[in-house]
Amino acid sequence: MSSITSQKGTRQVRRKIEDVKSLSITSLLDVLTIILVFLIKNVSMDAVKINQLPDMKYPTTITTEKLMENAMVTPVKLYMDRVLLGIGNQYLGTPQEMVESADVRTVMQNFFSTEISEIPEDKLSDACLIVQADADLPCGYVTQIVSVGTSVGYGNIYFATLEEADWLQSYRTASNL
Amino acid sequence: MAGYNPSGARKVYRPSEARQQNGQTAPQEPNLVPIMNLFVSIIPFLIMMISISQVALIALSFTSDGGGGGTGEGGGGGAQAEIVEIHLMLKELTQAELFPGMEVREPDKTTIHKIPWLSEDVYDFDRLNSLLIDLKEKYTDTAEIAVIVHPDVLYDTLIRTIDLCKDNGFVTVHYRNPKTQYIY
Repeated sequence: MSSITSQKGTRQVRRKIEDVKSLSITSLLDVLTIILVFLIKNVSMDAVKINQLPDMKYPTTITTEKLMENAMVTPVKLYMDRVLLGIGNQYLGTPQEMVESADVRTVMQNFFSTEISEIPEDKLSDACLIVQADADLPCGYVTQIVSVGTSVGYGNIYFATLEEADWLQSYRTASNL
Repeated sequence: MAGYNPSGARKVYRPSEARQQNGQTAPQEPNLVPIMNLFVSIIPFLIMMISISQVALIALSFTSDGGGGGTGEGGGGGAQAEIVEIHLMLKELTQAELFPGMEVREPDKTTIHKIPWLSEDVYDFDRLNSLLIDLKEKYTDTAEIAVIVHPDVLYDTLIRTIDLCKDNGFVTVHYRNPKTQYIY
């Protein structure tokens, strides 16, 4: 490529313009590869089922435990005003209805039975119920879910919390105010 | 190219000629565009799937005591092992010796530590924590503890209690329903 500059009484000078170099994307590719490896390592299908729900207030804990390997997870979401079952968030009713109505409990029991029946027999011991409940709910509702879950055959029950290493300190401060 | 001979004469290959680089094209950069396309598609997908703030979990053990607590692992059948019990209560009921707060019963069932709540729904977890440290020193062999929770107690209180138990070495926490219920 070249450009021509001309002035009166002077000779034309062709100034050579350097070729535009192609953009080197090798370094970008390096970064993307690192990100990709990191994401693939961290992503987990089970994690999708136990994501933090934005509209739920979780209790906080110092200790945490890992979900058992190859767990067959059935999540239950217990909000102040509704109970949602499974990955598909099937609406069960309100927590109060769950405690008061035998029909609602039967629906829940049938749902858990269906989930259990879909698990291969050799993996029944991996059946796992994860309860995500609002911190301000009375324990009676949680106990009801746990009771139905264990009666159906869930041998592993986990409560979802948020990790906070110094909740005792903050609780102490809050209670002194 | 090194092996091309337009004269048609028989070409003699020699080691020295093979090393000559004359006539070879300059090495080209690999075409990274398809890989880039793939990455640009995969990375947003993975970012969508990944959970940045993943919830923590605490596991439970169950004791079948007729209270509906379940029959999971660590149930221990009918006869229950003598372990420390923490009773979480919310309402005052003198007849049933219930009060708002926590009651820690040692395995001998005669030593009972009462920890009343500090104010409404504010339990004295500091005192519970200190007590659990002392109990762990006293009962070093056991890692089991039972939490008996009344239905009206907040879920947050239950989880904090279980958490303190696990943090102080009582890693197997049994979840039980109370035998004494509130009378409404």
